[in-house]
Parts: sequence; structure tokens; C-alpha cells
Amino acid sequence: MKTTKNIAEKRTVLVIEDDKPLLEAINAKLEKSGFGVIAARSVEQAFHGKLAKNSDGEVTIKSIEQALDYLESLEKIDAIWLDHHLIGKEDGLDFVKKFKANGGRWSKIPVFVVSNAASPNTVKSYGEFGVSKYYVKSDHRLDEIVSDIVASL
Amino acid sequence: MIENTANKKIISAGDSIIYNLKVLAKEKESVRRKLAVTAAKLARAAKKLAVIAKEKEVVRQKLAITAEKLKKSYETLEQKVQERTKDLEASRAKEEAILLSIGDGLLVMDENGIIIIINNAAEKLLGIKSNDALDKAFSTVIRITNDNGTIILADKHIAITTTPVILDGAVIGTIKIFRDITNEREIDKAKTEFVSLASHQLRTPLSAVNWYAEMLLAGDAGDLNPKQKKYLDEVYRSNQRMVELVNALLDVSSLELGTFVIDPEPTDVRLLAENVIDEQKSEIDIKKMKFSFSHAKNISLMQTDPKLLRMVMQNILSNAIKYTPENGRINLDISLKDEQNIMIKISDSGYGIPKNQQDKIFGKLFRADNVRDKDTDGTGLGLYIVKSIVEKSGGKIWFRSSTEKRTGSTFFVVLPHININK
Repeated sequence: MKTTKNIAEKRTVLVIEDDKPLLEAINAKLEKSGFGVIAARSVEQAFHGKLAKNSDGEVTIKSIEQALDYLESLEKIDAIWLDHHLIGKEDGLDFVKKFKANGGRWSKIPVFVVSNAASPNTVKSYGEFGVSKYYVKSDHRLDEIVSDIVASL
Repeated sequence: MIENTANKKIISAGDSIIYNLKVLAKEKESVRRKLAVTAAKLARAAKKLAVIAKEKEVVRQKLAITAEKLKKSYETLEQKVQERTKDLEASRAKEEAILLSIGDGLLVMDENGIIIIINNAAEKLLGIKSNDALDKAFSTVIRITNDNGTIILADKHIAITTTPVILDGAVIGTIKIFRDITNEREIDKAKTEFVSLASHQLRTPLSAVNWYAEMLLAGDAGDLNPKQKKYLDEVYRSNQRMVELVNALLDVSSLELGTFVIDPEPTDVRLLAENVIDEQKSEIDIKKMKFSFSHAKNISLMQTDPKLLRMVMQNILSNAIKYTPENGRINLDISLKDEQNIMIKISDSGYGIPKNQQDKIFGKLFRADNVRDKDTDGTGLGLYIVKSIVEKSGGKIWFRSSTEKRTGSTFFVVLPHININK
């Protein structure tokens, strides 16, 4: 298990993506590009997960309280890679609402929404929360999004 | 007679009597004769009268018969008229019942637009009572649009068909049929939503294939030998085509669902065009095409939806590239058609669209025969999408095309805009 300290040493991306194969691909590409990755498949996991790294090298979070505690205790998250449709009742927009509600330093962390859902209303809603990076998953290469993340840091 | 003078006096007296008697007799005879004649005349007259009377009687009898006949036929006629009236009333009532019971809403107006028939379905569909509608002008009773010009009935999913009532070549009124198409709409919506959902679901595995192929090709999992690279390239490219198809299907379903949002914002049209050209530059170069881009000087910032304008330009330009052989030429020109409209003109020296298929070119899933024969892939959705977008934006699209050598096609798009340079 990687310690918080280890993750904090390098640039860290919180990846919230419900599809396992995609999550693994993003994780691999980000790590290959030198990022530390914290992964979650639901908003609940993102906020309340226990910090546990599984065999695939993902840090998984299991419950909202734990994740919030985790995020609060986390020294550094540099960017967030967020899918819109997630496991559970809450979607990416719910995450952004909660996340931005915390204010402070978090409001400055860039959020990259990478989703299959590209309805103009959804995109607009993200925009209202200050999230302007919106990618249609199947239309963009991993290296393209990763280099956008690098450029934003 | 022997006359004797002695007795002359006596004789004379006697003679006088006799003479008088003779005269009398003579007169009597004359009277008798006259009477006989008169009697005969009378008899003849009587006979005549009898004949006449007889004739009269015949006529009278005949008249009586005729009168009887007339009376009878009058009675029959009366009865027939009553029966006929009854029949007519029954058939009229039946026809009225049929009209009023038609499942679709029916309104019939006279030549002045006054409502003369409204059936039950129309009352229900339009939410009005026949008493409030009959003998009134259609326009005062039924509001199809509100004050802002918004179609009110559109919310209710009602299709309206209007036809004139023509009698002896003259229009004597109007029939309006209101059909509740909620069901059809729902079925159509469900179908489109299915396509949309399916396409969304398809994007996840497509992304997985994309991203893993990308990482393999990038050597993230180690070096590939040339054959592996070649095969993987093929996987990647085919997957890209699938992505394009899914995107096109999603665009179609969103256009048909009406969820296609037009969101105008200040857009640098020239820059947008340059971006579109850059994206396709490699294709243009591969085919060694002569490409030119021209634009009017006053084209810069415009109030338009950049996403849609991009789709329109991308589609037409990629068609021009795809359907023009190597060494061909392509020109993109943007100009101000007038104060309110910009005109995008994309011309090529390509294969052209066959004359007999030009009316189908904007149809869904249609591809012209001459390009199907060529080794080019396409979904047949591009121009359908472009036309829908352009028309939803209040614009127009048309083209000139010929399959004659090197003539090619020219597509014209006119889009309304608000010039915000001023």
C-alpha cells in the first residue's frame, strides 16, 4: 500500500470513472506520464473510500465520509479526471457540487470531465460550476487529455 | 162550288161563315203544321239535349274517376314524401353521427371561416364545447399560436390537416382534421431514445479499444514489431470509423428528438474555418490537392453556434476531400451574403452527384451510386445532419453538381447571424 506521503510526492490525479477497463487505461497512462493516481468508481468512493490500493495499483475509496476525510487529509491533489455517469445514484455533477462546496484550495483544482454523455445541458451545468474542460470520451486520445492536464498544472 | 144568286144573301152569310171556318181551318192547319214543326224541333232538341246530357254524364264520371285517382295519388305522394323525408332525416342523422363520431378531430368551416361542424373528438382535443364554437369564426375560437407566435397545439402533439371543400369548382369551405399523434410521437421518441442510449453505451467499449490501441501503438506496453503495428493501426482506424458512425447516429437521434440545442455565442468564423481546414490538412496533402481558402474582410466575430457551424463546415469539406480524386482542387469561401446572412461556399472538382440522384442527396443514409462504386466509406448521414442543422438554425443549403469531367460540386450554405463587429 502506497502511503499518502508517497502519493503526495508527485503530481496526483484523482480519477473517478465507473468503467473498470477504462479506469485501468487512464491509470496506466497517467502513471506512465509520471502522475500518481487515486482512483474511484463512484462519488461515494471518491469522497468516502478507505485508502486501499488493489492489485491493479488503484487506490480505492469505499464510502463518502471516508473519502471526504481522505480528501481533507490528502496533502495534494493536482487535478481531477471525472466521468459523468458513475456507479451509484450520484453522478459527476454531484461530485463537482460537493467538491466545490468545500471551497478553499479545492475550488482551484482543475477538473477534467471525460464522459460519454455530452448533452449540451450537462456540459452547461458543469460550466456553471466552473468546469470548462469537457471531453467526449470516444473522441479524444488519452495522450491528448493527459497533455492538457500537464499544461494546466 | 155552284153559286146561286137567290140565295145570295144566305149563301153570302153562310159563305162568310164557311169562309171564316175555312180560314180558321187553314190557320189551324198552319198552326198545326207549325206546332208539328216545333214539336219536331223540340224532339230534335230534346234528343240533342239527351245526347249532351249523356256526354256530360260521361265526362262527369270521367272527372270523378280522375278526381279519385288524383286524390289517391296525392295521398300516395304525401306518404311517399313523408317516407322519403323520414329516410333523409335518418340518413342525415346517421351521417351526422358518423361525422361526429370520427376518431380524429373534425372542424368544418364555411367560405367565411365560420365553424359549421365540430365533432366530439375535436371538442375533446381542442378543449372547446361545440356550443362555444359553432357559428363563430375559427380564428376567434381556436388559438393555434399564442401572442408570441408559439404553437400551442404543438405541446399537445396534434397534427392538423387542412383541405378546401370544393363544390362545382368553387371553394365553399374548409375542413380541418386534428389528429392526436401522441402515440406516434411516443413510439418515435422511444425509438430515437433507444438509438441514443445504444450509441452512448457503444461509446464506452469504443473508448476502451481506442485507448488501449493508442497505448499499444505508443509503445507503452513495449515495442511492437512492424506487423503488429500494422494490424493495430487497422484496429485503431476501424475503431475511429465506428466512433464517427456512432457520433453521426447520436447527432441524428438528437436532431430527431429535438434535443439539439442551438447556442449562439460570439464566434470567430474565420478562425473556426481555419481550424476545420487544419484538422483535414493531412487528408488534403495526402491527395495532393490544390486547396484555397478565401473570405471577405469583414468576416470575423459573429453571433453563431460554433459547434454547429463547425459540424457543417467539417462535413461539407470532408465530403469534398473524400469525393474528389487526387490532384483535384477544393475551395472554401466565406462571405457576407447580406446584413443578416453569411454564405459558406465549398466547391470541388470531384466526382459530382448524378443528376437523377440529386434530389435524394440530403436523405438519411443515402449515398450516390457513383461514390459507392469508389473505394470510399461514408455513412450517408453527413448531409442529412448538415441540412437539419442548417434548417434548424434558420439557414438554407443547396448545391450545384455535375458528373461531367472535372466540374465537381459546389455547396452553398447561408446562415443567419448577428454581426457583432459593429
